[in-house]
Order: sequence, then structure tokens, then C-alpha cells
Amino acid sequence: MNRLGGMFWAIVFLAVPVLGVATFAVAPSINVWLPKDISEHGHEIDSLFYFILILTGVVFVATELLLFWFLWKYDAAARGDTKATYLHGSHTLEVVWTIIPAVVLLFLAIYQMNAWANVKMRRPDMPPTVEVVGRQFEWRLRYPGGDGMLGTPDDIHLVNDLCLPVDEDILVQLKSMDVLHSFFLPNLRIKQDAVPGMKIPVWFKGTETGSSDIVCAELCGWGHYKMKGRVTFVTRPEFDAWLERMEAEQEATQEVTP
Amino acid sequence: MMQAIHFYSVVPVVALVVALTGCGPTPPASFRLNMVEAISPTPEKDSIAFEQELTGDQQKQVATILLAMFGTPDEPVCLPESGLDSAKLRLAAGPVRSDIVGRKNGLFREHCVHCHGITGDGLGPTAAFLNPYPRDYRPGIFKFKSTERADKPTHGDLVRILNNGVSGTSMPSFALLSPVEVDALVEYVRYLSIRGETELALMRQFFELDDEDQGTLPETREFLIAEVLEPIAEKWTAAADAVIPVPEMPEGMDLAESIETGRKLFFGDKANCVKCHGVTALGDGQANDYDDWSKNIVKIDTKLDSVATGDADAEERRWAAEFRKVLSGDALDPRTIPPRNLRQGIYRGGRRPVDIYYRIHAGINGAPMPAAKGTVDPQDIWHIVNYIRSLPYGLDGELGADRAVMMPPATPAGLVSHEEN
Amino acid sequence: MSTVTAPTTTPLDHVTVAKPHPVSTFLSTYVFSKDHKVIGLQFLFSTLLWFLIGGLLALAVRWQVAWPWSDVPVLGKLFAQEGGQMSPEFYTMLFTMHATVMIFLVIIPILAGAFGNFLIPLMIGADDMAFPTLNMLSYWFMWPAFIAFGASFFFEGGAAAGGWTSYPPLSTSVVSSPGSGWGQTLWLLGLTFVGVSSMLGSVNYMTTIILMRAPGMTMFRLPMTIWAMFITAILQAFALPVLTATGFMQLADRLFATGFFSPEGLIVNNAVPGPGGGQPLLWQHLFWFYSHPAVYIMILPAMGMVSDILTCFARKPLFGYRPMVYSIAGIAGLGFIVWGHHMFMSGMNPALGITFMVSTMMIALPSAVKTFNWLGTVWGGKIEFTTSMLFALSFVSMFIIGGLSGIFMAATPVDIFIHDTYFIVAHFHYVLFAGTAMGVWAAIYFWFPKMFGRTMNEFWGKVHFFLTFIFLNGTFFTMHILGAVGFPRRLADAYHYETFHHLQPMNAFMTWCAIGMVASQVIFAVNFFWSMFYGPVAGRNPWNANGLEWTTPSPPGHGNFDYQPVVYRGPYEYSPPGVETDHLMQTDPPNPTADAAARQAH
Repeated sequence: MNRLGGMFWAIVFLAVPVLGVATFAVAPSINVWLPKDISEHGHEIDSLFYFILILTGVVFVATELLLFWFLWKYDAAARGDTKATYLHGSHTLEVVWTIIPAVVLLFLAIYQMNAWANVKMRRPDMPPTVEVVGRQFEWRLRYPGGDGMLGTPDDIHLVNDLCLPVDEDILVQLKSMDVLHSFFLPNLRIKQDAVPGMKIPVWFKGTETGSSDIVCAELCGWGHYKMKGRVTFVTRPEFDAWLERMEAEQEATQEVTP
Repeated sequence: MMQAIHFYSVVPVVALVVALTGCGPTPPASFRLNMVEAISPTPEKDSIAFEQELTGDQQKQVATILLAMFGTPDEPVCLPESGLDSAKLRLAAGPVRSDIVGRKNGLFREHCVHCHGITGDGLGPTAAFLNPYPRDYRPGIFKFKSTERADKPTHGDLVRILNNGVSGTSMPSFALLSPVEVDALVEYVRYLSIRGETELALMRQFFELDDEDQGTLPETREFLIAEVLEPIAEKWTAAADAVIPVPEMPEGMDLAESIETGRKLFFGDKANCVKCHGVTALGDGQANDYDDWSKNIVKIDTKLDSVATGDADAEERRWAAEFRKVLSGDALDPRTIPPRNLRQGIYRGGRRPVDIYYRIHAGINGAPMPAAKGTVDPQDIWHIVNYIRSLPYGLDGELGADRAVMMPPATPAGLVSHEEN
Repeated sequence: MSTVTAPTTTPLDHVTVAKPHPVSTFLSTYVFSKDHKVIGLQFLFSTLLWFLIGGLLALAVRWQVAWPWSDVPVLGKLFAQEGGQMSPEFYTMLFTMHATVMIFLVIIPILAGAFGNFLIPLMIGADDMAFPTLNMLSYWFMWPAFIAFGASFFFEGGAAAGGWTSYPPLSTSVVSSPGSGWGQTLWLLGLTFVGVSSMLGSVNYMTTIILMRAPGMTMFRLPMTIWAMFITAILQAFALPVLTATGFMQLADRLFATGFFSPEGLIVNNAVPGPGGGQPLLWQHLFWFYSHPAVYIMILPAMGMVSDILTCFARKPLFGYRPMVYSIAGIAGLGFIVWGHHMFMSGMNPALGITFMVSTMMIALPSAVKTFNWLGTVWGGKIEFTTSMLFALSFVSMFIIGGLSGIFMAATPVDIFIHDTYFIVAHFHYVLFAGTAMGVWAAIYFWFPKMFGRTMNEFWGKVHFFLTFIFLNGTFFTMHILGAVGFPRRLADAYHYETFHHLQPMNAFMTWCAIGMVASQVIFAVNFFWSMFYGPVAGRNPWNANGLEWTTPSPPGHGNFDYQPVVYRGPYEYSPPGVETDHLMQTDPPNPTADAAARQAH
């Protein structure tokens, strides 16, 4: 009878790795998983994510199963009159489980560096495609006009609706007018805080046409949740035509009824 | 011994649990009466008459009539005479929920209510913390539109505001909502505005009552619709045909020349933009004016202060005290409205040349910005537009907009005397 | 090691006379008491009350996330103006204050304040703390903080709403949002008082542990709880001044128009918040320089207590005592050079990201060593499944999850995607709730008999454990996969984004679990207060544990020990050879066989 209690609790702890793995196994099929990647560099990040997931998953399952097994086996009710093992530790084991994780963790750190440098450190040598300015609670966009320079009268000003050419290097000049914001493009695996007083370059390349979300990922006040934008990738000719249309709209001298 | 000590600690825990769970259900949403207006009508703008407050019964009557004509925030009613589209209203009204086809309903409460308030009075919970304050729809005054100063905005004008937001204010862009949703929200804004105007009109009706009416309105449907609702609704339907005609921009004129002409007009006697926007166009010409919404409150405030300090009788003092209470709950502390800094490149009503043309031509309703219509020639307005559009880039046209803010005040040619003063 | 003489007075159970209390008035005994046990209990009750408040705040947060803009039950009456729905700034305030309350008014004070105070003198064999008056002050300095945080809800604009991290310029600009007015100022003042309290405590703990150990209690005979408290105190002493200083800088930015954290040309809500010339990232560096070590302040004591509880109910010596001590020290040391991993996306030079990634990966190492040692402790034991043991085991089980998920965030490229998403929310709740809070429950069930002289009801304790365990995993485990979608934290309504609109049902599930989790605590509250008065009377040592605290009467009188305890061995001599019972207390007279075995084992 007493034994049942221990078995029950051991099984409760067994449920942790079982349900944990099940949750991650089911997640992609119910669409609660990494959103579609439409960037050139995104697969690097995703494969690192999977790599760490498998690595930690193995450790997770192994340690949790071990815990379950110990609880099952060394329940006092199952041990009868035998005493617990009188053991203060093992020098060999300590060395083993210090060295192995140390090597793995160091390897992990070194293995990540290239991907990090690609996204954040190896900036393409080009003028900004567009300036994105965070402001409570919208993304102000500014495209250089015909002269290719920002800060001139032919700049094209828009809000929230970012349009970009596909399959081309994009360099965004990220700024903030008031508080911190974070320029988060889930489908492009891009995230960068916008800091007032700083111009931060962000670069990426979209590989698919279509629209996806721009999310603000740094608390910027009461309306943080509604700081929503949209990034749309179109082909180069479409982009040029669109930019021209936007320019014409901005220069309208007569009311246009949509 | 030790266990007896902590009897006292049980008390707050129990009290807290009881306090938090002992509450009843949430009451349904309802519109608030325009109390500032109800107890202080200002038909003639210069004075506030103490005797012209609505009695409690009259306030109830106003509320009843409004309920019959407009329904509640959860279930809006629209009479055919109001010119409102009930299908669109339903999409925007009520609590946030999805209908049977999975379409989001209750758009106003999802997107607008925390600033503009459930009554559209600009008194949402966030309102007090915004600068400028969110719009109070009830007086039916709208700033940025393509129609004449006193006219209502067109449907397209309001759609444009929702799509672009009002840059330089806390009004964000809703460009990513579907056109159907934007339409529904515009319709709901119209609904709240017509409702608010009707409320004001009803209250005025009460003030104009004679003694023989015994303080009640002839509550017939015909009277209320013909005398109160229809005149208001008509103004809204008329807006579509009242768009300001904009002449073509003068052709054949060099842009630099046009800007120079515009600059002269800016400093000239007729347009006299310099008076408020300042010699540097940084918006520092004057700093003490209020918009119409605040003006009323400022006026009442001054009056109440004079009652408090002057030799008013007891009845007046009682009334003033009561009014103070209403004011603290139903009005925000008035703030001055600074003229626009034209060197920032931020244009609240839109940056298109035609937008700036409208602003100059018709002025800004509710704000001190006057209409240039009649005093300035339409062609000249275009020159001013060009000059204004050149301002953020400095006199040499090379400064970036973001640097212009910090630019030292430029001394326009011909105004050296100002500098010497 | 010096030789110590055996005490002349044995057996303990016949001695019941406590040392008399010097002056005994109600105020000096129960309110402004200088007795470490009373102060510990004062901390315990205050923090448990705030735990309740913080939990209710969490429920309100969860409500909005699951059913945004719907009428809120109970609280909804507050928002009648908007038809019973929560406004976004109220939501912002809720999660800010949830985190603030839980971190500064619950976790830190319950670990260091409640258990540190109660256990340190008892476990090292001291009469009281080194500085009893300072100790009393450390509790009463919490009250200005309680009042500041509590009252801020009732000021115009409400409580602070800039997140518990209070990043400027959102927090330095008084007009940036509701709650950044008085709410934020009070928040900073409250934080300062919490800091003062912690500082007084940490000075006291360090002094007491170094100077007031009983004869024979060498540093390497200290229980892990004391080691953890000792190192936590050192962490606090070094990190807190930075937080206090930076808090004052922010206060100056807000009140005296300085510009430490706001750059030039800033326009917030159409107002210029200050003269400019500062850098928003400076705050982040200074804040995390405290708050990263603070993360360890929030877990190390729980790790220590769990180590003691595990050994007691596994009836087995702690596996790898010295490695455990060294890894705590390692965590503390490395804890000071990893703060930048909170700022990978902040705009800090990306090259710095690499160094912080390496140091962060390294700090996972001592945590891993500790976990393996706990597993080693259970291995070959004779496990008694008491409520306390279940909570301690769940601490280990959950800490594995919390620790492993940290590696995702430490990897900078992966962090690009999961930074500020629910993945991080899952991570720190697994460490702080499923870790620390479970450890605290284990400790409450374990030391309750010492605190009140009675044991808590075991059956209801297990029901409480079971429900909490199930619901907490339901709530927090799902957050990992939400994070994998990129679901951002702190959003009042995320469902209008294409990417996230299908996640509402999952959030609703999590909220139901959260409701269940909070509801389960009713069982705990009833059990706690009922057992205080009606639980079975516990003797001196109801668990047959080894520590010095178990040689005192339950509850101990003023002065704690009714004789001078002398320590002969380490605290983990369970099931030693040559002993009839399965444990040898630290004060038990020398036993040749067992002591020889212990020497050999080390």
C-alpha cells in the first residue's frame, strides 16, 4: 500500500519529460511553432534553434528520466530495512560532469559566432534603403526619393506599411523619436531595439514576395500592443512603380478619391 | 507562545479575499450625459448664466430622448433620418467579440475607447495623459478636412485620418485595418458626433423653453426629428458636396520664385502667418491661445474663480462648488494650443500640398488658425504652400528634417530690424 | 582543526528552560522585536501577503492575454467607463507591478528576509544575529517600500507602468504614459527602501556567519542553506549600491531635470523631457549589473534549502558537498560578468554580445554541476515522499527546464528571434516560480514545525503540491512553444497580428491553468493557518534531520539554544555505518566508526 504512494509520485515526475517532449512534438503540427522564414539568413538561426533544442532535449530527457528512475527505485517503502547508501560523492564523476558540459557549452558559444556576425556585425556597404523611426505608437517610414539620399525634400514619408524589393540587400536605418522600441520581423528573424539618439543599421534580404508583420518588441508605453506594422516584399519593377505611386500621392495638388 | 503571535496576520488576508470576491457583476456600458453643458449652457458665448442649468428631471428627459434616438453603446439605434448605416455601426459598436462568421465586432471598443471614451467625449482613461488631448466628438467640430471651416468632414477625410494617423499627436495610423473596418469606425465616429450634437441641441431647446412649457419639451417624434436631428444630420450629408475647389498650382513659375513669393506673403499683412508661427516659423509667435474645446473650460474656470473670490451670494457659491465637482470629472485641465512649428516637417493634417492648401484656405476649425479664404488669393495660397513645404529643409535646402529642429533661428532677409530689436 | 570538548549537558530532550527574554512588552516582543525568529516570521507573513497580491495581479494579466478587451470579472467594476474592459495602460501597470511585487516584495525578502533570518542563527548555533537592531531595521525598512508600491496604485495615472526594468526614456519622461508620473517616482523610492533593507540584512548575515558560528562549526561544516545565504549576502553587498545609485540617477532625471538617460532632441508625447546629453543604454547596463546578480540572489538560497531537504528525506549525505559550495561561489562570481546577455538586442555593440555569450554559456556550468549533484544525492537513497520532499524534488525537476531554456537565450543568434517573447517568460517563471517558489514551499513545509511547534497536514500538503505542480506546468510549459512562434511579452492584445492571431485558445488554456494554480493556494493558506494552531505537535526533531536547528525546542525560545551546541561533524551524516539510527546529528557525541567513515569519504 505504502509503495503505491512512491510509485504515484515517481510517475508524476515521469510525466514531466513525457509531456514535455510531447508538447514540442505536437507544436509544429498545430501551427504553434516557428513562423515561416522568408529571409536569407533565417535558416541559420532556425537550424541553431533546432540544434540547441535537440541538445537540451537530450539532456532534459536523460536527467528527468534519471530522476524518475531514482524515485521509483529508491522509494523508502521499496527499500525495506536496507539503509541508504553512505556516499559523499565521487571525484571522478564531478570531473566528468564538469568537463563535458564545459566543452559542449564552449563549443556552442563558438559555433554561434558566425551567425551572429552575419546578422549584426557584417554590415553591407550601401546607403540605407529606408529609414524606420519608432514613435509612440507607430512606425514612421522615410524612403530616399530620386536622389537616393535621406533628409532631402524628395523623401517619401509613410506610416506602418513598409514595402521592399525582394531578393535584394536591404539596409534599414533604425531610429526612435521618443522611447525605446524594438523592430521585430518574426518572419525575417530580425529583432533590433530602436534607441533614441542612435542610428542603428539593420540588414536582411527577403526571399519571398508577400506581406508579414512588424511587431514592436520592447515596451514603449500604454499603446505598445498596437504598434503594428506590415512589411511587404515585391519584385523590383513593382517596387519602383509603387514608390512612384507613393510619391505622386504625396505630391498631390488635387483631392484624389480612392 | 510563538504560535499565538501571528493572529493579527490572518486578518488582512481574510479581509483582502473578502474584498476582492465580494463584488457584483459589471454593469453594462452606457453613455454619459454631457454634464458640463447640462449645468452650464453658454448660448451667448460671453456669459455664463447661473439660472440656466438643467434640472435633474430635465437631465433625465434628455437622457431618455437620447436613448430612444440613439440606443446604448452595446446596441446603437439609428433612425433613418440620421443618415447612419446601421450595419456598419453594429460592426463598430458593443463589446469586443467575434460574430458567427468570425469577423471582429466591437471595433470602437478595441481601438478607440481608451482615448476617446465610450461616449466619444475624449475622456477615455488614457486621455488625461495625452498631449494634445484626444478629440471630443460631441460638439461635431473636426479639424482636418477638405471642406470649409464650418462644414463637416467628408467620409474620405475621416478615412484618411484613420489611415495616416495624425502625426505629431497620439493618434496612430490604422492603415492595417481592412477598408470595411475603417468604414465602420468612421461611421461610428459620425454616430457619436451626431449623438453629441443632438444632445447639445436638446439641451439648448430646454434653455429656450418659456415658462408655460413647464420645463418639458414637446416630446413628439416629429418635433424631435424635424427640429433637432434632421438639421444636424443634413450638415453631415451635405459635406460630400462641399469640398473646397482647389485651383491648379500656378504653372510656369520657378519653384524658387514661388517660394520667395510665399515667403513674402508669410510675413505680409494679408496672410500674416508670422503673427502666430513666428519669424523663424518655429511656432513661437504666440503661446497663450486655446482651442475651442478648452476655451469654454477656461472661461468657466475664470468665472468660478471669480465666484470664489468675489462677493457672490450663498446660492452662487453652492452652484460654483457643485460645478467644480462636475468639471473635475468631466473636463480635462485646459492646455494652450501652440502654433505649429513649421520646421519639423510634421504636418498633422497631412503633408500633401493639397492638404496644406486646405489648412490655409479654410483654417482649422476649433483652433485659432484662421481661414485665408477671401483675404488671400487662391494662387497666392499655393505660393505659401510651397514656402511652407521648403521650411524643414532650411533656407539653403540642404538641411535634414531631423536637424532642422535644432537649427538656430534663421533671419529671413528683410527682417533685419527684428534682429536688431 | 582544533579539538573541542564535549558538552557536559546531554540528553537534550529533558532541558526545556529557555533563556528569559530581557524586556517583555507586546511591542518589543512582537512588533519591534529584535529576535531573529520573530523578524523572520514578520518577513514571512508580509511576503506571503504580497505573494497573494502578486498572484492576483498575475491572474488579471493572464485574463487580458487570454480574452483581451472582454469584461473582467470582479475587477471590471473599476473600469465601468469602458464597459468593464481593461484599458491597455492598466494592463501595462498590472504586469509591471506583478513583476515588481514578486521580485522585490516576495522572492528576495522571503528568501533572505524570512528564511535567512529565521535559519542562520539556528543553523550555525548562534543566540541571535550579530546586529539585532540592524536586523529589526531591515524589516521595518520594508514598510516604506510596501507603502510606496501599494499606494502608487491610488495616485493619478496609477502605479508604475514602465515594466519592472523601468527602461528610460519611457520611465524618465514623466509624460510618456500614465503611471510614469507619481507611479514611477514611488516605484523608485520603494526600490530604494527595498535596497536599504537588503543591504542591512546582508551586512548582518555576513557578520553573523563569519563570527558567530558555534564551536566546531567550521566553514565546511556549514549546511548548504547557510553557504547559499552567505554568498547571496556577498552578492547583495556588491551589487546593490549600483542599483541604488542608478535609481537615484533616474529619480534625478525625473525630478531635477538632469539628463543621465535621455539623449538630445528627444520629444516624448510632444514634450521635451529634459536637457538631453545622456544615453538610455546606460540605465540598462547599470540596472542589469545589479539585476543579473539579483537573479542569483533569487535562486541560490532556494538551492541551498533544497539541498538540505533532499538529503534529509533521501536519508543520504549530500553528493559532492565541496563541488556544491564551489559552484555556488562560481555562480556568484560569474554572475557579475554576464549582465550584457539581457541587452543583446539593445543596440549595444554587437561585438560585446560575443563576450557576454561566452560568459553566459559558462555560467550554465556550475548550475549543471549542482543539478547532477542533486541527482547523485537521490541516487541510492531511501526516499521519504513527504510534502516537503516533493516540493524539493520538483525544484530539481523544474530547475532543469529553467536552466536548459536559458541556453537558448544565451545563444545570441537564437536570441534574435526569441528575445522578449514568451520563451523568456517561460524561462524565468521556470526558474523563479517553478524553481524558487517551489523551493520556498519545500522550506515552509520543512521548517514549519520549527517555526510554530506543529507540523502541517501532510495529506493536504500533497494535494497542494500535486495541483500546483500540474497547473504550473500547464501554465508555463506552453509558454515555450508560444515563444517559438515569437509571441511577444507585454502585449495587451497580440491577436491582431497575422502571426499570432491563432494563439488565443492556447492562451486561454494557460489562463485556466493559472486560475487553477492560484485557487490551489487556498488549500495551502488553510493548511498553513489551521496547522499553526491545530496541527500535530512536533518535537524537537520531527524529520530526524541533522542540523543544529533541530536540537532546539520547537519553537525555540529567546536565545535559541538551551545549552551551548558543539559541532562534531558536517550536516549530512545520514545513514552512516556503525550507528543504530540512520543519522548522526551535528551535535551528537563523536562516534568512532561513523566519524572514521566520514573522514574517509571526504
